[in-house]
Amino acid sequence: MKKIKISTTINSKKYYLDINPNVTLLDLLRDELGLTGTKRGCEIGECGACTVLINGEAVNSCLVLAPQIDGKELLTVEGLMAEGKLHPLQQSFMDHDAVQCGFCTPGMLMSSKALLDENPNPAEEEIRTAISGNLCRCTGYVQIVEAIGKVNK
Amino acid sequence: MKPFEYISTKSINEATQVLSEYKQDARVLAGGTDVLIELRRPHAKIPKAILDISYIESLNGISESDGLIILKPLSTHTQILKSDLVRKYAQLLGIAASQIGAPQIRNRGTVGGNVMNAATCADTVPPLIALDAEITLRSNGGSRTMKLVDFFIKPYKTKAESDDVLIEITFPKLPSNAQSAFIKLGRRNALSISRLSVAAILMQDKKGLISEARIVPGAALPTWMRVKEAEEMLIGEKPSLKLFTAAGQKVSEVMISYTGRRWSTEYKEPVIGVLVRRALEGCVKD
Repeated sequence: MKKIKISTTINSKKYYLDINPNVTLLDLLRDELGLTGTKRGCEIGECGACTVLINGEAVNSCLVLAPQIDGKELLTVEGLMAEGKLHPLQQSFMDHDAVQCGFCTPGMLMSSKALLDENPNPAEEEIRTAISGNLCRCTGYVQIVEAIGKVNK
Repeated sequence: MKPFEYISTKSINEATQVLSEYKQDARVLAGGTDVLIELRRPHAKIPKAILDISYIESLNGISESDGLIILKPLSTHTQILKSDLVRKYAQLLGIAASQIGAPQIRNRGTVGGNVMNAATCADTVPPLIALDAEITLRSNGGSRTMKLVDFFIKPYKTKAESDDVLIEITFPKLPSNAQSAFIKLGRRNALSISRLSVAAILMQDKKGLISEARIVPGAALPTWMRVKEAEEMLIGEKPSLKLFTAAGQKVSEVMISYTGRRWSTEYKEPVIGVLVRRALEGCVKD
């Protein structure tokens, strides 16, 4: 199988990669690049644990073929912290006890990051829509919705 | 995933070239929300090549020209639901797009993929058929245009040849006296697959009488079509609960005449009627 050359930006760092085409973006991030903050859940686009941003849009990395990130700009949960400080969303999740087992948290953070970048003061309904593709089996969502809603307040 | 060759192109001509060479051995990849799941299925039939068309810029975007809306196949569900043109001239299509999957799926999944994959539950198809959409396919041999309603043979089977690329979907703008609705019934709200859906368009004349009606059920019939028997009942009439209920019952009868009675009929028979009624009511609000 022929390898594919791609160039991409992940968390503001430029990558030039030689990859097998038959891997998903999720596999590439976790197994090749060691970015294991992005979680492997259902792998059929239903749980949202693998959510990352491509050009600012939330996507399921399990449903993106790795070569399709050529020329694109990605953000994973590892890219949220800046200058040694937690991203306001991360801080808010902690302040509101929006994390229990933590497995859904990276995906939740990325979906809500996409929302807040577009709409800094979303209504509760908009928050619930934005995270509708992210399953959490611990919290019941209430604290997560609160955490997202309070970030810019 | 088993190995395959990955081919990416930025030109439609190159895409049709590759497809004419590989025929059934190539699979077209756009947003990937269906294809990736298929490729990873146990015992999946892995194609020799994956042809990635997602970088063909001329296949993306929503525009208008001469009273037509031109919907390029790589337009994502998110693009559709955010489009001012869709909101203004094809409201039911925007409603359908907004209810597909979740944001992550809507950001990747494309209208072209929805049409070409031809799943019974494809939510953009009933609105597009109600909008009287046409599609244009291109292969090495040239282009051909057909009505979308004539494109489907059965679930997951269309008239597209293995070397065809869908290059355009067009439909006339709805006039200002038209109102439209799309109602979907899933097992839950988020991330749900349509069990049944109804796309409806009504136009009323100055006296408030119905001058045109289009009703297209989704996931109800072997393939999509307008239910003319029910539409005709509405023409020249004044909208009323009684009329819409009767139209719903007619759609239900027509559905059973095609599908016969099966395990799901006990449920679908009354429910499709109610969905039709609600969709029609949604077309006469304010």
